[in-house]
Amino acid sequence: MNCKELAYMLADYCNGSMDPRLREELDEHLSRCEPCMAFTKTFRATCEGTRKLREAIEYAIPDEVRERLDLFVRSAALKYPEKVKEYRDQVERDRREKVADLAGAAAAGQLSSATALLMESHCAACPECNGYIDAFRKTGTPRGGDPPAGIRSHLIALMQALPPGEEFFLA
Amino acid sequence: MFRLYQGKIFNLAMSILKNESDAEEATQDVFMTVIRKVGTFQGNSAFYSWIYRICVNTCLMRLRGKRRSETVSIEEFMPVFTDEGMHASPMDDWSKEVERDALNAELGRMIRKFTEELSEKYRVVFVLSDVEGLSNEETAKVLGLTIPAIKSRLHRARLYLREQLSRYLREGKAE
Repeated sequence: MNCKELAYMLADYCNGSMDPRLREELDEHLSRCEPCMAFTKTFRATCEGTRKLREAIEYAIPDEVRERLDLFVRSAALKYPEKVKEYRDQVERDRREKVADLAGAAAAGQLSSATALLMESHCAACPECNGYIDAFRKTGTPRGGDPPAGIRSHLIALMQALPPGEEFFLA
Repeated sequence: MFRLYQGKIFNLAMSILKNESDAEEATQDVFMTVIRKVGTFQGNSAFYSWIYRICVNTCLMRLRGKRRSETVSIEEFMPVFTDEGMHASPMDDWSKEVERDALNAELGRMIRKFTEELSEKYRVVFVLSDVEGLSNEETAKVLGLTIPAIKSRLHRARLYLREQLSRYLREGKAE
């Protein structure tokens, strides 16, 4: 591997997705090439700087802009009440489906590791959800169809606790 | 829904349009489109990726209607190598310097400034991936590009930024 090849492979190297054999080769080059070591360190520092920037600017929106946007959306929503209803119905349907899928996957042991962890710690503290999932697991069918409102709201909160892009279920 | 997304959409619009009043108008357009088109939203795709796509399209339409702002040529900031593939110039390691708090804040400001100077082709990919934190797959979906195209633009944008910061810090030291 030469310096040029290294520079164009740095993204995979820095995010850990690089093939181990190539990684070894790259590490070996880094250990004997000072300019590449400086290049890699400053490349990482650049990416790290952007990540920090992301944390700092998230949700930074001036108050007066926020107020004007609020007002705008409220008046726009009044003009399209049927669309707003359509949206709410769609959200409700999606949620019902997702909650049913989540309960089913929990009962079948098909949750992704992050979701399984959240579910486990929630069920340990919530007898209602624990009983529901446990019965589902034993009988293979959900007790009384869709989860009742209380359990549903807990499961929705659990799904919202996961970061965007995180998979709920095992592939 | 609106409260959840307004900060993110406004920030994304700011990053693309680089101007607060344009970003505010674009955010209004985005929410108007969302309200009108919500019936066409495919429930199986992530809502945020749908709304981001509307935002990017709205902002790009606005950019096209305006006089193009000055952007730099990214080629001038790509690393230079010899025919043998070795670095053609010496490299400074400034990574430790920017860990100091004072420089850290300055680094954030400079990253924003240099990002704004990037052409729209690279800026939008960089903002969605590195500033908004979307995965390459999600950015590809929002922009309707392939994942290799996203990876390549993103990497070039990061190389550009690294070089801009190097030059800035080198000049700062010389002063």
